[in-house]
Amino acid sequence: METADLSHHISRRFNEDLERVRNQVLAMGGMVELQLANAVTALIEGDSNLGASVGRDDSKVNGMEVSIDEECQRILATRSPAAGDLRVIVAIIKTITDLERIGDEGEKIGYIASRLASMERPADKYREIKHLGRIVSEMVHQALDAFARLDSEAALRVARQDRIVDEEYESIQRQCITFMMEDPRSIRRALDVMWIVRALERIGDHAKNICEYVIYMVHGKDVRHTRLEDIERDLRSRSSGV
Amino acid sequence: MTPGTSAVLFVTLRIAAALALGATLGWFAGAWWLGVCGVLVLYLAWNLWQLWELHSWLRNRGVADPPDAMGLWGDVVAQVVRLHRRKRFHKERLARLFRELRRSTAAMPDGVVMLDPKGEIIWFNRKAGEMLDLSRRADLGLRIDNFVRHPDFVQYLRGNEYSAPVIVRPDVNQEKYLAFQLISYGEDQRMLMLRDVTREVRLEQMRKDFVANASHELRSPLTVIAGYLETISADPGIGELAGPINEMRRQADRMTRIIEDLLELSRFEANDGPIKGQPIDVAAMAALLRKDVLARTTHPASVEVAIESGASLIGDEAMVQSAFSNLVDNAAKYTPPGGSMTIRWWTDEQGGHFSVRDTGPGIPAEHLPRLTERFYRVDPGRSRETGGSGLGLAIVKHALYRHGARLEIDSVEGRGSTFTCHFPAERLFEQRAAANG
Repeated sequence: METADLSHHISRRFNEDLERVRNQVLAMGGMVELQLANAVTALIEGDSNLGASVGRDDSKVNGMEVSIDEECQRILATRSPAAGDLRVIVAIIKTITDLERIGDEGEKIGYIASRLASMERPADKYREIKHLGRIVSEMVHQALDAFARLDSEAALRVARQDRIVDEEYESIQRQCITFMMEDPRSIRRALDVMWIVRALERIGDHAKNICEYVIYMVHGKDVRHTRLEDIERDLRSRSSGV
Repeated sequence: MTPGTSAVLFVTLRIAAALALGATLGWFAGAWWLGVCGVLVLYLAWNLWQLWELHSWLRNRGVADPPDAMGLWGDVVAQVVRLHRRKRFHKERLARLFRELRRSTAAMPDGVVMLDPKGEIIWFNRKAGEMLDLSRRADLGLRIDNFVRHPDFVQYLRGNEYSAPVIVRPDVNQEKYLAFQLISYGEDQRMLMLRDVTREVRLEQMRKDFVANASHELRSPLTVIAGYLETISADPGIGELAGPINEMRRQADRMTRIIEDLLELSRFEANDGPIKGQPIDVAAMAALLRKDVLARTTHPASVEVAIESGASLIGDEAMVQSAFSNLVDNAAKYTPPGGSMTIRWWTDEQGGHFSVRDTGPGIPAEHLPRLTERFYRVDPGRSRETGGSGLGLAIVKHALYRHGARLEIDSVEGRGSTFTCHFPAERLFEQRAAANG
């Protein structure tokens, strides 16, 4: 009787541990989301203070990554989780790496934005970047929602958007090249813009990665480097087959 | 005698009578006990029949009518029927109440989310579901901070200071601001009220922008006017126009000051969060402020500085300087040449306190609550004379607000006023031993 009680107790504590780490990941995600939004706003509105503040926030995100990592190591060492629990821990360890990278890219955008703030802004007020930034931060938001709900279908939907990001990236790149050819004086700014767009494109990739971890967490299937159509077909056959 | 006992008594009497009858009949037939047994068997059979009737009615009492029974059985049936009716009545009332409650919360213009101690969602109304994009099917039992991940909200949820709502954008990609207010009730239960404040936030932003832009736009033409007036007034050929032109210069100066104060205020307002800042040497600042007062053409006879603590104040130097100098300036302006004023800085367990006391005319009590409003004048004629912008105390209030501090005003008409800034203890920085007293 006593042993049964004890094991129940341990598993409850274990559940709480897992739940706490998951919550920390989402809190970290919230910080990263805000950082990204601030970085893009800093660029669009030419607010150099806001841009610089993004860099300062990044240390908080880094600190959270380290503490979540330690917590995961502790869980792995003391609880030796198996099956679904193990997948959750592995997915969390991977997710926070991607979140941290998103934070780094956000910091980069903020830094460039605070530098561009002192320059004259182009006539289109970075409309394309605004559009791309919106798609990308929407992706990050939905990826984290899917993570919170363990919703693999939503994760798949988000992952599919990465293609749009790539197309936008291409189109802004072409536009920048045109600007540079037309007016060599704009090369400097165009290069900075390229850096920002590149960072946004990378953030899109990281959001897609997070979605893949969600699918891994739910279905136990590693879907990295797999074509989206194949994943989709696979998931559908699983859900209908079982 | 209660009706119950009388019924029991009646039944007992009836059985006794029946037994007596049975015994008599049996006695006539030759065996009295056979008669008694016959009566008992009949009675038992009747009882079983009644019990069976009652039982089958209880099994499907929803549809069937209660059985007709007499005697004690009839009483039992009546009691059961009454109990059953009462229960159904209460159940219906509760269900109706619950339906009403659910309908009314669903119709509420604000969102409501009920949370358990861990912050997991127990229930939410339709509006909250719309606002936060929650689905009743999937999201019950999940934690609210998994969906509203804004760091400010997470901090608010984990803290225990719920008096003021926190305003955040739940989705950073949408221009939608929600005010979240937590309300504790019962044992560790919490209710989260949500209100859409996008309009208010936008209006407030527009107001701030308008003031900042308008002041900025007014500054350039005013500089030109002031410049020309200065050149003209230096010209010896203006003759009797000297008076009016000097007055125009004075007024232009005043306008410049008002605009500068407005710009300063909107700069303080541009950001709402508390500031971190660096340690500020209050003693040095107070000494400088004293010097400024003594440099005025007319100044109070005595200006004392009492520094009773060596602690520094952590804050934004420009903002604190602006707040303190506004207070000192006011005191210097309103203290008559023969009066005295005291600047004091001290610390205790509550935090740091900076006070400016004067022996001026004092402020009537009814004006105190409105004193920090913009352009509020106690005595319109007098303050225009002294050339104030009417924004000084508004600046003080806002600068203090950004430091988590508050302003206290004590004033006795005819005797003088004391303006005290109370800073929280975490704003203090004790480097040297407090021995400057």
